[in-house]
Amino acid sequence: MNQQLPFSTDIQIAICGSAGDGTIATGDILKRAMARAGYNVIAFDLYPPEIRGFGKCIARTRITSEQVYALKPRSDVLISLNDAYAIPHVHEVDDFGAVIYDDTPIAAVQEGEHISGHLAPAHLPYAIPFREISERTTSGAKSRNMVAVGYLAGLYGIPREVFHDIIQSKFKTKPAALTESILTAFDAGFVEGVATFHLGFNVPSEAPQSDEKDDVIMMSGNDAVVRGCLDAGIKTFFGYPITPATSIMEKLAVEMPRQGNSMVQTEDEISAIAAAIGAGFTGTRSATATSGPGLALMTEMMGLATIAEVPVVVFVSQRGGPSTGMPTKTEQSDLNLAVYGATGDGQRIVLAPTNVEGCYWCAGKAFEMAERYQCPVIVLLDLYLSNRYEAVVLSRINPFDQDCNTGVPKHQTDKPYRRFEITDDWLSPRAIPGEKGLQHVITGLEHNEFGRPNDQADVHAQMSHKRHQKLHAALTHPDITICKRFGDTGQVQIGLLGWGSSFGEILEALFKAQGEGITCAAMKVVMLSPFPTSEVIAFMDDCDAVLVPELNYQGQFANLVGAMVGRSVHRFTRVIGTPLHVDDILVEVRRLCDDPTAPPTPVNPATTQEKLT
Amino acid sequence: MNDTTRYVIIGNGAAGNEAALHLRQRDPDSRIIMVSAGKLLFLNRYRFPEVLDGVFDWREFLVNPPEYYIKQRIELRRYTWVNHIDPHNRTLEMRHKEKVGYDKLLVASGAGGYLPEYLGEYAPLLHDFNSLRNAMEIRSALPASGGKVLILGGDIKGLDLAHTLVRGGREVIVVASEHLFWPHQIPREESGRYIDALERVGIEVILDHKIASIEKGAKGMRARRVTLDNNHELNADVVMAFYGLMPSLGFMHGAGVDIERGLLVNPQLQTGNEHIWAAGDVCQIWSPEENHYRFYYGWKNVKMMGRIAAINMTGGDEAVDTFKEDRLFINEQDEIDSTFWEYE
Amino acid sequence: MTSVTQPVYLEEKLEDIRESGRLIYRSKALPTWCPGCGYYAIVEAMTDAMNRLGILSEDTVVVSGIGCASRFPFFVDTYGFHTLHGRVLPVATGVKVANEALNVIGVGGDGDGFAIGGGHIPHAARRNVDITYVLFDNGIYGLTKGQTSPTSVTGFETGTSPYQNQDNPLNPLLMLLSYGASWVGQAYAGNPHHLASMLEQAIAHRGFSYLHVLSPCVTFDKTSKTYRNLGMAIRDLPDQHDNRDLMAAMIEARHQETPALGLYYKEERPTLGDGLKTIVERSRNKE
Repeated sequence: MNQQLPFSTDIQIAICGSAGDGTIATGDILKRAMARAGYNVIAFDLYPPEIRGFGKCIARTRITSEQVYALKPRSDVLISLNDAYAIPHVHEVDDFGAVIYDDTPIAAVQEGEHISGHLAPAHLPYAIPFREISERTTSGAKSRNMVAVGYLAGLYGIPREVFHDIIQSKFKTKPAALTESILTAFDAGFVEGVATFHLGFNVPSEAPQSDEKDDVIMMSGNDAVVRGCLDAGIKTFFGYPITPATSIMEKLAVEMPRQGNSMVQTEDEISAIAAAIGAGFTGTRSATATSGPGLALMTEMMGLATIAEVPVVVFVSQRGGPSTGMPTKTEQSDLNLAVYGATGDGQRIVLAPTNVEGCYWCAGKAFEMAERYQCPVIVLLDLYLSNRYEAVVLSRINPFDQDCNTGVPKHQTDKPYRRFEITDDWLSPRAIPGEKGLQHVITGLEHNEFGRPNDQADVHAQMSHKRHQKLHAALTHPDITICKRFGDTGQVQIGLLGWGSSFGEILEALFKAQGEGITCAAMKVVMLSPFPTSEVIAFMDDCDAVLVPELNYQGQFANLVGAMVGRSVHRFTRVIGTPLHVDDILVEVRRLCDDPTAPPTPVNPATTQEKLT
Repeated sequence: MNDTTRYVIIGNGAAGNEAALHLRQRDPDSRIIMVSAGKLLFLNRYRFPEVLDGVFDWREFLVNPPEYYIKQRIELRRYTWVNHIDPHNRTLEMRHKEKVGYDKLLVASGAGGYLPEYLGEYAPLLHDFNSLRNAMEIRSALPASGGKVLILGGDIKGLDLAHTLVRGGREVIVVASEHLFWPHQIPREESGRYIDALERVGIEVILDHKIASIEKGAKGMRARRVTLDNNHELNADVVMAFYGLMPSLGFMHGAGVDIERGLLVNPQLQTGNEHIWAAGDVCQIWSPEENHYRFYYGWKNVKMMGRIAAINMTGGDEAVDTFKEDRLFINEQDEIDSTFWEYE
Repeated sequence: MTSVTQPVYLEEKLEDIRESGRLIYRSKALPTWCPGCGYYAIVEAMTDAMNRLGILSEDTVVVSGIGCASRFPFFVDTYGFHTLHGRVLPVATGVKVANEALNVIGVGGDGDGFAIGGGHIPHAARRNVDITYVLFDNGIYGLTKGQTSPTSVTGFETGTSPYQNQDNPLNPLLMLLSYGASWVGQAYAGNPHHLASMLEQAIAHRGFSYLHVLSPCVTFDKTSKTYRNLGMAIRDLPDQHDNRDLMAAMIEARHQETPALGLYYKEERPTLGDGLKTIVERSRNKE
């Protein structure tokens, strides 16, 4: 009895429990299966406490038939694997959304401790004895989570085969008996789900089918960075663990040796970037990854790479700051540090992807740019982007140029070699250790064209100019989006200017505003340094008012835009530790539409505060 | 214990909801908790036949929107079951192992369809009509148009459905038992004119025959084959039983209150336990005039009981009018009608 | 040691140097150090050692930090990287990991290595990264014109310790031995032939080799580690010293006031590069 709904598939599922309940693993299977089934998937797991092993986690997955750009503030389904953790999140379930829970606690519970007493009147209760079914069909209660996800699949009419495929591939290195038992638990839940009368109105329509189905990969932002590194031919990686960048290092530790390359864990972030720069000096592609506190330690070395003109790629996944701040909360507050954090005039390239696919492209292109422009390149992510999963279609052809070096032409080798020669495009021929007759010293001291220390005024002026001028070419680097406009063309009432992970929420707000009849456009700026000034000015010319939503207190991107284009913008800043709320942006858009001169709303008005316990 | 009174209502039907509304009005600071087995909010069951006409969105049948419960601060615990009641500690022991305490308890758990023992073995072949799901299942068991439905027993709920089905172009046969017109007790000599009224709208009524067996229909035939005690065979797409109601009371055993067929209460709707009241199809009220406990059915009666229970639970003193006479009659459309069917 | 009995003629000496072939390792830049600085001897010893080993200039990278000693790369004709204060070892590690074929030599002073850069030394040592670290120890910050360093002796007077240094000096050799460096030796700028021989061995060693070179600062230290004082204090390691015996090496290293020259300790064990190759093999077997 399938109801024909006027809207296409858009279901968000939240799974809440502890890591011990297999919460994240369940979410992982769900999102991979849905991507395999052909849906668009975007997912973001939250670990409110710092130590993942013991605390609460929530795996949120949004499944859609069309491309979407952000998670919804409210989910359509909540699966509780642990009532104590899930109860505070029941209010995040949408009206007429489902709450799936176990109604066979192992022991008596105090009044109020069972989730059934916490559902809002508009929620739909689906109780199913996960634990009993797991115990009955497998050797114990451990597969409760698989019963739950099986139940979900059965209830929502999702084919079980895609789940079987994903479970089999996820557990392929595990004993066959274990996989078998997991499948049994899944099927037991599935049968229950099929037998349950579905009362909800939000049911999936058939997944959009495409020829590219097999190339759709579920990956997180950090996964995409890793893939970009590998495709760009990374040879060495040096890192120091820090949330939320660590998983880049961990995945490279698995993948790089398989390609004969090296991942080395260093004693600190200074050492990590120092080694990456040392490796860059040898002419090979090298990178490190860190978060704000690590980037702070790396800034001195970034300056060295700038003046010594050594390529290095630094992935920075931001989190709440300053200082140690909020290691497991997301924030976009290291823009200043990334763009400006340097000794002297230390300009570098800064790329900020806005989605998972962008992480892949920016990662690969960062190596090309670092090598081509002989400078450090920062790829700026944040916890939300690093940990969020999207179904990404990747080309089978490696899109990255494997060698962008400006070498030393043969005919020049008889003349004294000028490592820092001033050329028409400001890029100097770069020799690397091992090349005969081109020995030279690079230094953090100001130097002349030969690399000899020299602090004369004209030399410093000329070299400063060279180091800035050469980066302009990055704005026209091939095959990468530097900035891009979305939404209505021509003159619009509201222009949304955004960057990084929060651009998804900005786009969703844009579409909603358009739905309300507001003419609206959005521009994402991927390259923050050097800044695509003329494109941004052209965009702003088209907008009656420009709103800049971002996740930091100061409006760091708004400041950057203001400094680069010399115009004021409307700030919309929040420091909530979670992604921006689409509806909050929308409220601001409406407000600005009514009164383009409205003063900014205060950061974090009480109404938008997320109650995370 | 703090000052606010905890009212717990078992049941989420007409009686329970009416009681909750009046409890809130009369004791604004109290906590009101409704415990019910259904997944959904209070639905208007009288409109379930509309499902057969293609209304699938159950939100259409909501008596109160979800916001109502938030505004009235009525806490709902749906899809939960009471295992038993501990009257000494004043707690409900729930099937999901949670204990829910009460100061004052209203049992308004309603009643389910009664099925005579000799039909028990055929239950899997019968369709119920208690829930939205049942209604949807009946719709899918019937062909897009036409189709044949057998109504066994023939209580007034069944007859109401029979009218709806006939109006929708379905063929309906009522295999009557002594429950025909239940809960109205119609003497045999008077029943003829009501049966005539049924047949006038196209409902066939078979009298004086018991069911011998119910089977699945043979291939190519309708889904059910019913054989009567005279070996006469009836084929139908759907067979439903309407033999009156049976109070849903299993969980009340051991609670120290008196139970006959229903939960026995005085005209103030209080049970033998000073903390426990009852209202709706579940209770049997002492009628001093008739000198026995009797049931009062129908939307209007049930709502009245919910209101009176709430008044008495909050210190009032009001009694159910036990003189009340309910009757069957032929209405202006020349169809049979019951005072039980009246509702605002 | 022999006393000078024969006069040395500059012409003959220059002829010897030209003939040796080691001038190809000298850059055209003139050192910026003070006249009489011990570091000139280290440059000469380095070119001598490289020449004797026959390593190619283009296959050699000298990495330095910041300080007088760290100007060293400009004066040899190899690839050079003059980095940041204290970061010799991480940069050198990066170079070596990226290209195992290169000879990587780190140079720096006592402040660079043991003050700001002290945290990196244990890790380079324990990983046994196949580089040579030559530490020029003059017990003072020279480039900033004379301040106390981590190896300055207690009681030393400088611009930053006008009322005498109250801190104990570090014992670099003892630290390196306990960190697990696989080659630990000491030389003296005033004994260039021995220094060159030690450099030759250190570079030839497969693994992390640490050569501590005592060298006076003739400009800012007139009282403590002067040629005169050092010349009187130094000694050779005892003939019977077993450079396979870590405990014996540590006992010798304790005598900082009478520093012994020579090879304290040496062991052969897998390098960082070997470990990375093992990881590559294991990753492929696990696939």
